[in-house]
Amino acid sequence: MTGPLLEVRGLKVEIAVPGGMTRPVRGVDFSVAAGETLAIVGESGCGKSLTSLAIMGLLPRAARLAAETIALKGLSLIGLSESGWRRLRGERIAMIFQDPMTALDPCYRIGDQMAEVLRQHRPVSAEAARQRALELLTRVGISSPEQRLTQFPHQLSGGLRQRVMIAMALLCEPELIIADEPTTALDVTIQAQILHLLAEIQRDTGIGLILISHDLGVVAGVAHRIAVMYGGEIVEIGERDAILGRPLHPYTEGLMHSIPVPGETRRGETLGFIPGTVPRQTGELTRCGFLERCPYATGRSAAGPVPLREAADGRLVRCVLPLDGSGRDPAAWTRQAEGV
Amino acid sequence: MNVLEVRGATKTYDVGKTLVGAGRTLHALRGIDLAVRKGETLGLVGESGCGKSTLARLILGIEGPTSGNVTLAGKPVGGYGRLERAKLVQPVFQDPYSSLNPRMRIARIVAAPIEVRGIGTASSRRERVRAVMNAVGLPEHFTEVYPSQLSGGQRQRVAIARALVGEPEILVCDEPTSALDVSVQSQILNLLARLKRELGLTLILISHNLAVVHHLADRVAVMYLGRIVEHGPTEAIFGAPRHPYTAALLASVLSPRPGARLPEMRVGAEFPSPLAPPPGCAFHPRCPCAGEGCATIDPDETRDGPRGYRCHYPLAHA
Ligand SMILES: Nc1ncnc2c1ncn2[C@@H]1O[C@H](COP(=O)(O)OP(=O)(O)OP(=O)(O)O)[C@@H](O)[C@H]1O
Ligand SMILES: Nc1ncnc2c1ncn2[C@@H]1O[C@H](COP(=O)(O)OP(=O)(O)OP(=O)(O)O)[C@@H](O)[C@H]1O
Ligand SMILES: [Mg+2]
Ligand SMILES: [Mg+2]
Repeated sequence: MTGPLLEVRGLKVEIAVPGGMTRPVRGVDFSVAAGETLAIVGESGCGKSLTSLAIMGLLPRAARLAAETIALKGLSLIGLSESGWRRLRGERIAMIFQDPMTALDPCYRIGDQMAEVLRQHRPVSAEAARQRALELLTRVGISSPEQRLTQFPHQLSGGLRQRVMIAMALLCEPELIIADEPTTALDVTIQAQILHLLAEIQRDTGIGLILISHDLGVVAGVAHRIAVMYGGEIVEIGERDAILGRPLHPYTEGLMHSIPVPGETRRGETLGFIPGTVPRQTGELTRCGFLERCPYATGRSAAGPVPLREAADGRLVRCVLPLDGSGRDPAAWTRQAEGV
Repeated sequence: MNVLEVRGATKTYDVGKTLVGAGRTLHALRGIDLAVRKGETLGLVGESGCGKSTLARLILGIEGPTSGNVTLAGKPVGGYGRLERAKLVQPVFQDPYSSLNPRMRIARIVAAPIEVRGIGTASSRRERVRAVMNAVGLPEHFTEVYPSQLSGGQRQRVAIARALVGEPEILVCDEPTSALDVSVQSQILNLLARLKRELGLTLILISHNLAVVHHLADRVAVMYLGRIVEHGPTEAIFGAPRHPYTAALLASVLSPRPGARLPEMRVGAEFPSPLAPPPGCAFHPRCPCAGEGCATIDPDETRDGPRGYRCHYPLAHA
């Protein structure tokens, strides 16, 4: 038995802000196996991007990283030198961002950018690099790739740019790809195509994939496992269909009840919602971080910090009174006063 | 009665004009016909660049059509003065962060539309602001805070309160929830549903999120490259799309339910350029059903009871 492809334990990110320290990531544990897609979901600001940037060694300067383990096939990434990171990034871990325009250089032709990435890591001739770029553009479903090589990023549509990003991520055959909201800026029709492409590449190459999204619909079709983040912590992590079908954490249930689904929710019916906003907490949590917004909270939720615990089906849940899929009252999500 | 009518509206833009070179013509709207009854919610859907926001700007009177006409309550939009028009139709835009003046307190932001029109006295205006903030679920103590102190959902409520304060007939919401988290989106959808029910508001709802449109709209118009290619009652359109493009859009809705698979996409990826709309049916280069005539003959609208579509080979439904 081999270990996981990526192992993350006790990942914390702290950022100094005027008047104190924020803790946007508070001790996150997960692993990704080769050939597996782990989705990380949660509302804006819950720490999804900082988690992925930490794994890529790309945290903003102001941020401080602490972790017990961040290891890629046993190689520790903690305290890696800048040159070590440069060898690793692109070569073994690649990242796909929400907005390809921020990752592509507007002044260079697509072909030159792809060749440069490849030649940073491989001693290949210009012609070989061109061939490899052509091969990958074709692989990601771009028609007339020769012509695309000579174009500048702004000459491509959003969907095409995202395909180019995916092709670039694949150039050096990385073992792990982190895709941070890869389809959020795209049309729904193109979104479906890009998700297909990611799923297919993953099946064919057996890479590990971390898919970050705030959209449960996006992850439902692609993920094997789902980690739900809230306030810098994982509150629930497990098999996709178990989480979507029978959420055990109230936050996950609240998210599921907020989404209208044609054919299931009645048109115009009152949708569930999670009242309030994520409180900005600077110190260590002394109780459940979701307490103020939880319709099921009890005295026990305030008794102390809540650890992740294993549920009967093997998933992990951070709740003193996890839902059991029956008995509880999901209408709680629509009944609350419409206060702000 | 139709509060809004659009007849044969087109909108073109001259783009790429340089000192020496001639410009090119971008066809943003290529003949739009639309009628919206009082109290009705019309959903406008279609890919990025198909002209949804342009149509919204024509309805709001921010721009005039290149040809054709837009009438509000029986009179051309251009025939109203700015303040008169503001009484009839109000916008709610996507981004609640940039659409509110950061230096104004919430009470003044919300009061602005009735203040410029000089409606009522200062105290009756204050009362009206309080009432409308209450209606959209903003607590009273928010009157004296600045936008930067509010969350995204709260800001969008402020934008909706400001749009409602002058009691307009029509609210034009252009992607009102796209910048918001799902748990906040659902609160805004609940709010719009309630306003529609309780105030009989007419709503034009633009969204690329078909689940959102399905949830709120009574009727749906599907746009493709500056045209409405299919329209009709929401249930009919979602239940049995006739236009292959509508079917493709519906297939792309992602379900968050267990066992959901990725939808099969059978249409090509490339949205055509509005600088050079394809001849014939503009959708034919991507259409899985295209046949003889599609590349040359622009389909007229086929009417079928309350619905209509433009397609030579419409999908059949049992
Ligand atoms: N450079 C920074 N300085 C200060 N705070 C930051 C910085 N970067 C991120 N944060 C804060 O850290 C928290 C987590 O940010 P992160 O970008 O990881 O969120 P996210 O889950 O990716 O959200 P989104 O869905 O909006 O992308 C947020 O509250 C954010 O404001
Ligand atoms: N002021 C303008 N000048 C030139 N072209 C414009 C202008 N406004 C819009 N366009 C073009 O008109 C077409 C329709 O744009 P519009 O913004 O209406 O699309 P949309 O359906 O709202 O798209 P999205 O979903 O991305 O908001 C696009 O090709 C756009 O680039
Ligand atoms: Mg992010
Ligand atoms: Mg728009």
